[in-house]
Amino acid sequence: MEGWFISITAAILIFVGLAIVFGLLLGYAAIRFKVEGNPMAEQIDKVLPQTQCGQCTFPGCKPYAEALAKGETEVNLCVPGGTDTMILISEITGLEPKEMENTEAEHKPKETAFIDEDVCIGCVLCIKACPVDAILGATKLMHTVIQSECTGCDKCAPVCPVDCIDMRPPSVSIDNWQWPEPKTKLESSLEITLKQNSNLLIKNQKGEIK
Amino acid sequence: MNATFMHTFIRPLAILYPMAKRWLHRFHGGVFPQTYKSLSLKHPIKSTPIPERLILPVKQLSGQKVAWHVAVGDTVQKNQCLVRAAKENKKGIIVPIHAPTSGVIHAIEMRPLPHPSGLNALSIIIKPDFKDSALNNALNVNGEVPETPQQLKDILLNAGIVGLGGAGFPTFAKLPNQTGIINTLIMNGAECEPFITCDDVLMQTHAQDILKGAVMIAQILGIPSIICGIEENKPAAIQAMNAAAKRLTKKTSQINITIQTLPAVYPMGGEKQLIQELTGIEIPAKTHAIDSGLLVFNVATFAAIFKAITLGEPLTQRLVTVAGLGLKHSYNTYALLGTPFLTLANAGQPTHSIQDPLIMGGPMMGFQVADNHVPVIKTTNCILVQPPKPATEIMVMPCIRCGECMDACPVNLLPQQMFWHSQAHEFDKVEKLNIFDCIECGCCSYVCPSHIPLVQFYRHAKSEIKHNHAEQQAAELAKQRHEFRLARIEREKQEREARIKAKKAAVKKQAQKPSDASSAKSAAMKAAAARAAAKRATQQESKQEIEQSAQADEISQNSPPPLSARQKAIDTAKKQAAAKVGSKVAPNKDPRTSAKQAAKKAAAMAAAKRRAQTSLKNDSNVTAPKTEAKTDSNANPTQTTEHSKQTMNDKRTQAMEAAKKRAAERKAQQESP
Repeated sequence: MEGWFISITAAILIFVGLAIVFGLLLGYAAIRFKVEGNPMAEQIDKVLPQTQCGQCTFPGCKPYAEALAKGETEVNLCVPGGTDTMILISEITGLEPKEMENTEAEHKPKETAFIDEDVCIGCVLCIKACPVDAILGATKLMHTVIQSECTGCDKCAPVCPVDCIDMRPPSVSIDNWQWPEPKTKLESSLEITLKQNSNLLIKNQKGEIK
Repeated sequence: MNATFMHTFIRPLAILYPMAKRWLHRFHGGVFPQTYKSLSLKHPIKSTPIPERLILPVKQLSGQKVAWHVAVGDTVQKNQCLVRAAKENKKGIIVPIHAPTSGVIHAIEMRPLPHPSGLNALSIIIKPDFKDSALNNALNVNGEVPETPQQLKDILLNAGIVGLGGAGFPTFAKLPNQTGIINTLIMNGAECEPFITCDDVLMQTHAQDILKGAVMIAQILGIPSIICGIEENKPAAIQAMNAAAKRLTKKTSQINITIQTLPAVYPMGGEKQLIQELTGIEIPAKTHAIDSGLLVFNVATFAAIFKAITLGEPLTQRLVTVAGLGLKHSYNTYALLGTPFLTLANAGQPTHSIQDPLIMGGPMMGFQVADNHVPVIKTTNCILVQPPKPATEIMVMPCIRCGECMDACPVNLLPQQMFWHSQAHEFDKVEKLNIFDCIECGCCSYVCPSHIPLVQFYRHAKSEIKHNHAEQQAAELAKQRHEFRLARIEREKQEREARIKAKKAAVKKQAQKPSDASSAKSAAMKAAAARAAAKRATQQESKQEIEQSAQADEISQNSPPPLSARQKAIDTAKKQAAAKVGSKVAPNKDPRTSAKQAAKKAAAMAAAKRRAQTSLKNDSNVTAPKTEAKTDSNANPTQTTEHSKQTMNDKRTQAMEAAKKRAAERKAQQESP
């Protein structure tokens, strides 16, 4: 009777002791190895196109990434990133992928801003609007866009009081020319065979009529 | 011995099993297309007339400037330098262009390039005068072999020599700067593409020049051995080169020259494949032959180097094969750079009128040009004229995963996997399959039973990957710049706040010492002085003042404007005089006041005088401490602000005084009627 009681208390004590030890260990680890910041926001920020265009209604790519990490917004707001970015975001966040609203803008080639330097009055409004400091100029002096730095966010064009900024696609040269994707003539060849077959059919039909 | 045994054993086997031929060479894969080389070898080198126009495209890279040595309308001589890289370029990848014949610069305009893109490039158009008068020794060489690698590089740059095998990389940039780095100089005479025979013909006719050029480079760079690899299907070239090598080794015994016969397999002429075949060294991925102590040039490049060093002749013409099944008379010719393709193709008696695009290069690696009038450039080794293809031949069928392409790939890649991923636009996976090691030789497309244009998929994937990398870099840059901008704005804000804080602190300090006592006191003193002045003035001109005040009252009620103006002028003059008499510090605000106010003030003065007369001194005594108290209460909060507010205080006290005067005037008005 006593032996039975002792063995049970011993077992209970051992497990209570173990629970306390592991509880303390976990509690210590939670404090000691606490993850600073949200690593998900960083991850999302990496897949965003960094145009800083604000089309997602956030003031830049990072704020959008942070809002996404908190789950406060939708995954399909990045217009320049398009469907590919949307899928990447939903993969990272685990949110349900959503269809892009503006699918036309997706396949538009990247454009950069050009300032008509004869019209520019040097108001510095575009310089203030540029999120990546890609516009050079000073008050009452002509401005110009550093093409290699322009992200094509289109923030400068609406603020221009004389409407001298327009967005242009990059000029194709030997340096940036791309091989086109070959057409798998599978479809076209299938069409040909279908046509031939239908011709044969017609002939056969005619033969039957005869 | 072993090799010959292999040959005798494998040749008969190859009849039963054609792919047994792949055992004869060291690298993986390879294909054995029909060569058609005899088409153009049947005829001797054909001399073609100087064309009507020569088109010389100027290679322009982004960030690289060129210096123009001629303008439209200039007369040029053969070998004259037309354009060269500007001196401010850090990396000189642009080589100069020389006039291939004498004539007039007809125009400098955009013309289509012999490039798969079909893009236009700025080109110099020369109208030849058909005299072909040449500058002798245009490069100013002394005929001696240069001593240092740098001298050699200078000559090669000035001569405008690029790799004539097809890649077109500037030869001078390929050479090392020091001697002793290279241990083997390899001469590429493989010429494995079907139809092309220009190197073969060159080796047959100019074996001595080629080898002399190679020996010169070997001497300058201290290279102990030269190996020349020639495919076995060029027996005449091998013979000529062997004979020339024998003659040369008698003169230069310290350099070991070997002419090696290679099995005929496509792509034996690929740089890495040739190196592996000749030396057994497999060049690692992402490194160049020079990293392994090897230097490879095409035989035609050696001939051009020889001409440049000994004769001072720049590169203005090259041997071009004009061949194809669409020509009755395929031939080789020394074509001037800038000769339009169509001119050369038409000289070969085409079997049909040339409507389809011509092909630059061989059937395996060549590309269709966008315009048949594109000119011969330094890398044009062949113009291929093929008969128009019937439509049924380009049937593309689905991939059946047979794996033929994998067996044929000379670089040991997995073409099938790369194809599936590039078709699905999974370019990151294609990149992981080492697509950048692909030499685009076209073996996979050649063996594909489904006729899939595999190489085109790889080319597209390569450019997509490059584009994606560039975009990633741009995004990274944009991110950095955006973050920097945000940090800058934040910093500027903080700096501005700090500046304001510092200013406020300075003002506080200043205010704590004299201002809290002095500003109020001075204001009070000023007020007192003003009052005293007013009193004195009233004592001096009391009678007049009374009259004037009576007049002013009348004027304020019903007076014509000219009179009031006059009155005002008189009043102000008097007031000023009074103020001068009273004190020098007294505030001078009269000129600004309007006629009405002046009148009111005059009335106020009269009222003050009356009060003074009726000995209402207590009243003034009461108001003085009041103003003091008020100015004090004003000064306390304003102490912290800038000292411009001190002047504000003065103004306020003035305003208060004016207000009091107005109040007094109202009282006077109430009393007077």
